[in-house]
Amino acid sequence: MRADGAVQVEDTVRATLRDVLGLSEARVAAFDEQTPLFGALPELDSMAVAGLLTELEDRLGILIEDDDIDGETLETFGALTRFANAKALQ
Amino acid sequence: MIDHYDWSGGREAMLRFGPADGPVVVAALPLFEEANRTRTFMVRILRLLADRGIGSILPDLPGQGESVVPLESVTILTMQQAFAATMEHSERPAYAVGIRSGALLDTYSLLDGRWHFAPQGGATLLRELTRIKQAETGKNLSEYWYFDEDSSNNVGSSPVEIAGNRIAPDLLTDLSVKHPWDYSMSPDIPLRTVRLESDTKTADRHVAGAPLWRRSEPGDDPMLAAVLADDIADWVRSCEG
Repeated sequence: MRADGAVQVEDTVRATLRDVLGLSEARVAAFDEQTPLFGALPELDSMAVAGLLTELEDRLGILIEDDDIDGETLETFGALTRFANAKALQ
Repeated sequence: MIDHYDWSGGREAMLRFGPADGPVVVAALPLFEEANRTRTFMVRILRLLADRGIGSILPDLPGQGESVVPLESVTILTMQQAFAATMEHSERPAYAVGIRSGALLDTYSLLDGRWHFAPQGGATLLRELTRIKQAETGKNLSEYWYFDEDSSNNVGSSPVEIAGNRIAPDLLTDLSVKHPWDYSMSPDIPLRTVRLESDTKTADRHVAGAPLWRRSEPGDDPMLAAVLADDIADWVRSCEG
């Protein structure tokens, strides 16, 4: 079982994707570890990435350095959630 | 109703809503793209305030909306001065209502109170603009990239283009040190901060809703607008005693 904090972070990442990209509740609820994001969601263009990162900072109370982000960070929902967890729970 | 106001740099348009006497709400939209994304929402709030007996104005600030002043020639101070000029010749009690970075624009004004929704600090906005520029150029940008001709295709301190807006480097420098008004600046003047539930920062109230300003399609949220209009109306009345 995962720690409560990790569940909260995953919920926050899901809600942030929903709000920033304008996706339906049902659509983000179906996201799992393997769901591809960048390159697979047309809504997630480079402008939206900037908004997504800033919004995650606000909601998780974290600071994301641009060096922290690489090509894999936004590849899947699982990768983004792991990244957010590492930042939020460190 | 469309009206005008004069400031030291010229004349700008403003929308007027509600009664012509009593307290007046002076509304400030966020800077840049978020202004387009929240305008419909703000106008809805101001109409609801009119229904609740409170008048308001929504000025086009220099560089914003229908203004003929090019954005690249303005700084935050210019916008703050123009915002202050909207109420210069009025005897009515005035309350600022600022959404997001609009909360940075009321610090120069003599006001009876300030009400901010999801206020965004200048440094955070600058980080976001830098991210957008990085995404556009595919380059990693240094802290003062907007003065760096190599990374911006511009020379010296000429304007830089970010997501279709041409912005003066001076404005960006200015942003890095701008904060929304806080109590320590003047504890006697009422200040109320409302945030979305999803925002972890402190506020007088957190409300349910989605951040419209994140959406590329201009949106509206009538239910949230009604909640905020009630909050503003109650707060203005309590300030007026």
